[in-house]
Amino acid sequence: MRAVRVWFKKEGRAKYLSHLDMNRCFTRAVRRARLPLWYTEGFNPHPYLNFLAPLPLGQESAAEPLDMKIEGEITGAEIEKRLSAVLPEGIEVTAAADPADEALSIAMAEYGVSLLFGEGRTAAAFAEKSGELIKSGLLTAEKTGKKGRHKVQKQINICEHIFRYEISASGTVCSLKATLPCGSQSNLNPSLMISALKRETGLAEELITIRRIRLLKEDFSEFR
Amino acid sequence: MLNPQLEACLQSVQKPGRYTGGELNSVVKDKDSIRLRYAFCFPDSYEIGMSHLGMKILYALANAREDTWCERVFAPWGDMEEQMRKRGVLLYGLESGDPIRDFDLIGFTLQYELCYTNMLNMLDLAGLPLESAERTALTPIVIAGGPCVCNAEPVHAFADIFLPGDGEEITNTLIDLLIAHKEKGSSKKEFLLAASKLPGVYVPSLYDVSYNGDGTVRAVTPQGDAPAKIKKSVVRDLDAMFFPESFVVPSVEVVHDRAVTEIFRGCIRGCRFCQAGFIYRPIREKSPETVDRQCRDICLSTGSDEISLCSLSASDYTKMEELLTRLVAWTDDEKINIALPSLRADNFPKELMEKLSGVRRSSLTFAPEAGTQRLRDAINKNVTEQEMLSTARQAFEGGWTSVKLYFMLGLPTETPEDVAGIAELAQKVVDEYYANPNKPKGKGVTVSVSVSSFVPKPFTPFQWEPQDTREQLEEKQRGLFSHIRTKKISLSCHKTQTSLLEAALARGDRRLAAVIKTAWEKGCRFDGWDELFNFGFWEEAFMEHGLSVAFYANRRRDCGEVLPWDHMDYGVSKEFLIKESKKAGENETTPHCRVKCAVCGADKLNGGECDARCKGLV
Repeated sequence: MRAVRVWFKKEGRAKYLSHLDMNRCFTRAVRRARLPLWYTEGFNPHPYLNFLAPLPLGQESAAEPLDMKIEGEITGAEIEKRLSAVLPEGIEVTAAADPADEALSIAMAEYGVSLLFGEGRTAAAFAEKSGELIKSGLLTAEKTGKKGRHKVQKQINICEHIFRYEISASGTVCSLKATLPCGSQSNLNPSLMISALKRETGLAEELITIRRIRLLKEDFSEFR
Repeated sequence: MLNPQLEACLQSVQKPGRYTGGELNSVVKDKDSIRLRYAFCFPDSYEIGMSHLGMKILYALANAREDTWCERVFAPWGDMEEQMRKRGVLLYGLESGDPIRDFDLIGFTLQYELCYTNMLNMLDLAGLPLESAERTALTPIVIAGGPCVCNAEPVHAFADIFLPGDGEEITNTLIDLLIAHKEKGSSKKEFLLAASKLPGVYVPSLYDVSYNGDGTVRAVTPQGDAPAKIKKSVVRDLDAMFFPESFVVPSVEVVHDRAVTEIFRGCIRGCRFCQAGFIYRPIREKSPETVDRQCRDICLSTGSDEISLCSLSASDYTKMEELLTRLVAWTDDEKINIALPSLRADNFPKELMEKLSGVRRSSLTFAPEAGTQRLRDAINKNVTEQEMLSTARQAFEGGWTSVKLYFMLGLPTETPEDVAGIAELAQKVVDEYYANPNKPKGKGVTVSVSVSSFVPKPFTPFQWEPQDTREQLEEKQRGLFSHIRTKKISLSCHKTQTSLLEAALARGDRRLAAVIKTAWEKGCRFDGWDELFNFGFWEEAFMEHGLSVAFYANRRRDCGEVLPWDHMDYGVSKEFLIKESKKAGENETTPHCRVKCAVCGADKLNGGECDARCKGLV
């Protein structure tokens, strides 16, 4: 048995699939692709699939890692080819290889957000005000956290969680690039940041695209 | 790609994955190379519709034609409807995202009466006039099939054509005809006249209905040379019948996501309350070879890990042992489960049960339907208490600890003893558990008793019966609750309002079309969903049109009365139904078709053949 890390894109219509949907979708895909997978040995055997950084519903990703356990001889290229043929539109396997990094070393993710506004002035105003808000160092948001087994609402200051950002406007589109914590230690959903900015600026977009560009380790190097 | 307006809708609704399309195995074709576009509409949510076998078959069947592109359409949930209306997004096919208003053919499958308002809502969301008469162009032609079509009168105004019976062959015939007329530039009237000449096609606009002073139907009169009786379509050979090699794999969770195929169509049992048991006659079996091949194809193309063998009563399949032997030979290695819904409690051999031992154990379900043997005889549910209890004992010995029991209240001839009998039977099942010396230590038994209300349906021996009033049903429910004396039995009763509306719509006439439209205008949608059902709106709608729910639901019909569906021919003869109805009154059972042919008449639609008979078991 060996671990294989599969990298896939999630784009277009597929971004509306939830994490649970993705799990089901890949479970079916690996069966259809007839991959020699290792099955769990419980009462209800199922293939071992581990999505390392589950993506919130509605967001795209250029490269999502998925670990599986393989039992038998098969090359990464073959896995890539067979899986790609049996996935729904919008999900495309781009690579399958031995994992280079520990799953737990994911620390951050880089996101690209594009907001489409009704008119150019709103996009520019949103970019300008948002830049100021982030620079001010205080942008609060409510986050659902856990205290023991209970869910609790807590206030966080988003600015403390933004490692890097760039914001600009062009025409009716405002583009935002941000590096935010991602992983089991600390995590910030970019949509939480966007809704805080929308609340503070009082501006709302017509259409939004959030795309995860890459996953990073603690030292800002790319997770592989 | 999705258009921006639709994308904006999706960003504001729950479970947007239901509305995106793009699932594995969904069929995308080049618009320019096809001659007919078909929107197959299921008037309920994606989760329900994507679980339905008939839709999978007909979708693949239409797409197997090079000249046709069939797409799926489901009823958008309330939040999505609101977004679509707000942003001017018209109802679209999931495959292309194109508005179905521009398609040539729009087909609805009417599986239950409570989806009628969804059909209207979907037509409206598509931007089409609701009524057939207001849609004057040749296309789109709106057709409808499914079991409700055996009495399509309440929705006669909304569809152009109804297709009673099996859809596999008539769909192709109708598509051919529509393509020919479209290319010839025919008018809608010309097309409908031509279609009405095909067997298995009902064009409601070619029939006039007159009423008596008391509100009953006086006559249904065909215009011109439209047939006086419309025969339902019957596929004679299930082995030769079209079946898909792949299913669309739903991306979001649906009710049933598994490889499913029928093992036979029709039923030999003749339970007198059961519409399916009569309208799908005659019984036609599929060979084990065919079932096995179809299961393999579907598992390969979908990656499914469960097979479901579908029928009205799985244990009546004559070649079950052979089939299971074939299936188990490969499903074990592939880690695929086999599910056998609709098993009867009385005749499933233990050895077969053991073949399925690898199957995950869910709870065990029995449907005694009635609490006493007397009433079970009256409804011809030929299963005895002894048989049920011995199956329960076997199950408990095999380690099961929970059992579900299904009953109906309000069956014809029901007495207070029959109601009490439900509680008694459930108690006997509990006792059976504790009588087992090897019961698991420290584990109790759960007997879930689910009680629905009897709804009289067309083409059953009970089609003339009044449904109990709501007061009567609720009184019986309260009575039943008072008989339950243990927490081992959990009792749940269906809402009586829903059953009442179902009864009114099931045996309704053409005047209900206006009622349905008004109910929809008031906001009725998804009436089958308890949380969205608004009986008040329906009562108002009936009243506004000077009609009453009770006239349709709670009135006893005379055997001589013209029934709104008398011009439909489902094979089973009226004489047979009357005979069965009389026997019910005398608590007399009718043996199932393999013991003795009851001469129901359904074989005449099948060239005089019936699988119950050709097995040499007359």
